[in-house]
Amino acid sequence: MSVATFESGREFESRSYLLDAAAAHAYGAAVEHPARRTVQPNIHDDNAAAKRAGFPAPIAAGEHTYALAANFMVNLFGIDFLRGGSLEASMIKPVFFGDRLVVHARVTDSDSSGVAMEMWVENDRHVRVLVGSARLARNPR
Amino acid sequence: MSDDDRILMCPENVREGIELGPIFCVITAEQVEAFARATGADNPLYTAQSPAGVQIAPPTMRLLDYALLISKHFRGGSGGVHAKHRNQFFAPMRVGQSVRTDGRITKTWRKRGKFYFELEYESRDVESDELLMRQAITAVLLVEGRMQ
Repeated sequence: MSVATFESGREFESRSYLLDAAAAHAYGAAVEHPARRTVQPNIHDDNAAAKRAGFPAPIAAGEHTYALAANFMVNLFGIDFLRGGSLEASMIKPVFFGDRLVVHARVTDSDSSGVAMEMWVENDRHVRVLVGSARLARNPR
Repeated sequence: MSDDDRILMCPENVREGIELGPIFCVITAEQVEAFARATGADNPLYTAQSPAGVQIAPPTMRLLDYALLISKHFRGGSGGVHAKHRNQFFAPMRVGQSVRTDGRITKTWRKRGKFYFELEYESRDVESDELLMRQAITAVLLVEGRMQ
């Protein structure tokens, strides 16, 4: 890892990702591979289930959006992120199918001990749907 | 715990200290590639031509193990509305690797009338016991589709 490229204040932005029903289906199939549970109609694929839970329509799984943020950290830091990185986030707004998502990150601290970032995911209406932080120690294993 | 003696997932039964698991999986190239495609990840680490010399799993590919831990112990639900998540990465998961995951309900609380729980889980290489990842999910419990 080259900490010099992560000076405080520097900002990064991912490519846009369309989270539509097809993407959600592909994500669901990938995480349940091989299928090990009987998945009941739920807030991610069923209008009635979404309404019972208080949402106007099915919403994307929070971990799907979180995966985009985690992938982006590996793109920024490389494999080192998987040897000493950490990530945490709150899913603060629902993501509806058809939303286009962009991951943003800003370096908040960069010193001899490592790099810290705030990061967030915005939809195409510039609403933050996920907010959190990431950190990578300077000398991961 | 077999499917027959699982307990109902409801606020009364989701208690701090409950141990979940273990569950086991093998990291496959098929899942790595399907997950990378589904999340738009084109990092070469996730390919058979990985510059790391071995095909690596995307960071959150086994995140859903929390649901497997829950559904092994509880019936009537496998989680709820995902509110928070955190990960600590210690070593990459590699294709061909056998992984064991154990979990524990670490916290439960009510806020604005909703029942929240936190589940921490940890994945290790089955053969070497090397720690690969620690995770925690915070979720609002859903029972019969309704927030509790």
